[in-house]
Amino acid sequence: MASDIVLPGQPIPLPRGPVPQLGRGIYEKDSQVRASLVGIPRFEGSSLAISRIRPQPPSPNSIVLGFVTRLSPLQALLSITVVDGVPLPPGEEFTGVIRSQDVRATEKDKVKISDCFRGGDVVRGIVISLGDARSYFVSTARNDLGVIAATSEAGVTMEPVSWQEMRCPKTGKVEKRKCAKPEGIP
Amino acid sequence: MQSAFDRRRINGPEESSPPVFATEALEIPSGNAQKTRKGRNTSDIRPIFLQPGLISQANGSAYIETERIKIACSVYGPRQSKNTVYSEKGRLNVELKFAPFSCERRRAPLRDAEDRSIAVAIQQALLSSVRLEMFPKSTIDVFLVVIEADGIEGCIASGSIAASTALADAGIDMFGLVMSCSAAVVGTEIWIDPTQEESNLADGSLVLACMPALGSVTSVWQSGRMTPSQVLTCIEACESKCTDIHSVVAQSLLDSARAATTTNA
Amino acid sequence: MDSASSSVNSTISAAETEALKAATFQRLHPRIYLERFLEEQVRPDGRSTAQESLDENGWRNVEVNVGSISTASGSALVRLGNTTVVCGVKAEICEPELDNPEEGFIVPNIDLPALCSPKFKPGPPTEEAQVLSERLNEVVTANGLVPLSSLCICPGKAAWVLYVDATVINYDGNVFDAALLAMVCALRDVSLPHADFDPELGRTICSRPGSDLSKPPHKLAMQEDMLPMAFSFGVFAGSHLLPDPTAFEEPLLDTAISVILDAHAQVLALSQLGSGVETGQALDHTDTLARCISLAKNRHAVLKKKLYGT
Repeated sequence: MASDIVLPGQPIPLPRGPVPQLGRGIYEKDSQVRASLVGIPRFEGSSLAISRIRPQPPSPNSIVLGFVTRLSPLQALLSITVVDGVPLPPGEEFTGVIRSQDVRATEKDKVKISDCFRGGDVVRGIVISLGDARSYFVSTARNDLGVIAATSEAGVTMEPVSWQEMRCPKTGKVEKRKCAKPEGIP
Repeated sequence: MQSAFDRRRINGPEESSPPVFATEALEIPSGNAQKTRKGRNTSDIRPIFLQPGLISQANGSAYIETERIKIACSVYGPRQSKNTVYSEKGRLNVELKFAPFSCERRRAPLRDAEDRSIAVAIQQALLSSVRLEMFPKSTIDVFLVVIEADGIEGCIASGSIAASTALADAGIDMFGLVMSCSAAVVGTEIWIDPTQEESNLADGSLVLACMPALGSVTSVWQSGRMTPSQVLTCIEACESKCTDIHSVVAQSLLDSARAATTTNA
Repeated sequence: MDSASSSVNSTISAAETEALKAATFQRLHPRIYLERFLEEQVRPDGRSTAQESLDENGWRNVEVNVGSISTASGSALVRLGNTTVVCGVKAEICEPELDNPEEGFIVPNIDLPALCSPKFKPGPPTEEAQVLSERLNEVVTANGLVPLSSLCICPGKAAWVLYVDATVINYDGNVFDAALLAMVCALRDVSLPHADFDPELGRTICSRPGSDLSKPPHKLAMQEDMLPMAFSFGVFAGSHLLPDPTAFEEPLLDTAISVILDAHAQVLALSQLGSGVETGQALDHTDTLARCISLAKNRHAVLKKKLYGT
């Protein structure tokens, strides 16, 4: 119902009973619950929230997509372009860093960054902390995380063959990557 | 006086000056004769036209027109803060630019002190309304371009309204919408929302910004000369106008939100 | 507080999810995204790329609003699709150059403020703004659109200088075409007050419009035959000709072509940056420019009628 749209600062009428958990876009001040976004307050499970599909900066536990921009023996730098499924506008990237200990869950000390990522790869990761002044810390230590799209040395989009290898369909050459398990495969 | 040669722009003659007219534009009443406002009641504001979301490249935007005043505002971010130390709270950055043709005198394209002081006034009006604690390490950029100006006070007030609307359009969390209104003391009267011409007649002026939904004032910017009781009268008059303005802004935001939901459905 | 990542997506509709997926793909793989559209002979904003429908459905809508800025001597606001440019002309008085004592000045500049696109940050003019200003300056001043001699007030003593400033409010591609149109329309709107140079005072005195009926303000002596209009094209992947490209398409183009026509649809200037269309493709290399000129002429006829009523 369009008439249910509230505006920032507007009090939100609550059902009788205990005050629900407050989600995004809603705040409480001086025992009054108010909206902080334009939208329709709805229950998401037990919490009341106003959802707006808007680009957001990464926060801990955000799933992010980004391009690998720089590699060093200790870490890979990521230019984050999609946060929680919402793409950021062009030119509005955030910098993420995948440290070698955050690449995979096992044998962390044996990780060689150059065997996991290459410049230009598209990587799916999870934000583990806000990081330092410059970048967000991102981890790929999960089956569904890692490289999701990469171009071979011959310039062709590669296919994953295992969780640590991808193959170029043109030359048949295999390159090493920390691959994410493709979606839809059990 | 023109600024020095700038190789990044097309340059004109070294010096040029605005036309000088044989007659003055308007007769300035001399002496202490009582001045009366022309065309408007002392307590009336100029009609407001407000349109959120016109700038498709921005995260959020608003265009405001109050008679001659025309201001475009866009909001970008929250974007990654550049060259700043780690901060738990987000930064609110406001920059304002006058188009070269926006004032009686041409404004050379270099940023001057007036741009900055108006930007600071708008930033102060907005600052306590934005939930900056939700945007650690990030910056919210608010950019304004004045296409046509008609009095500094009006630019600050209209700019603040446009900026708050653009922030709401961008989906930035706020405690409440910020409204703003100005008033000037002319002789023994108080004129609400003065134009440039009217400001020139005034002894002093005041710009109030507040969040009518919360009943709280976010900034007061007073200049010139007025008695403490006139200050209070101005504040009260502006606050009551802000409630009226709030309903204009609310309507435009609701209309644009409804338009967005119908196109998505 | 915002906890799990999935919470963002829990209340949005299936249509919104699809739109987000498409937007994510567009963001990560812009080239392939555009390729897939063009394979279907359609552009992401819905325009057609089919050869036979380019005239009707290859361009974005143009709207012009003239004279709404009272602080300018002349002004125009142009919307080309979402691209929005506002131009104002300020007339000031100066001393003519010693070499050209009977000529005034026209000084066109364009500003790309941080307001108009996430690409730009506050600061001095970017390289792109400088290049655009140069190109606009060439077209506006080189063709005698406004004879500089008509800006003379008193030879060797006083002349008008017209500062033609365009500000981009929304940068959605093909800013050059929009800015040129805004500048030309703003110049057509200019009204200059009657000006007399007073040799005794050594300065120019103007008559306020309406104050002296024997000294009325006047319009610029424009060469109505000139009225330049620009039509820009991009070539994508050596095979697709895209008229009036958007901000999303522009960075993906390998060739940029601009055709500038006068009021009689004669070519005033032509520019091509890049190698154009590859031979053996749907479009032939040799006739790409000819095709652009012909498309520009057809579009010119439509706009001329709409904007100038002729």
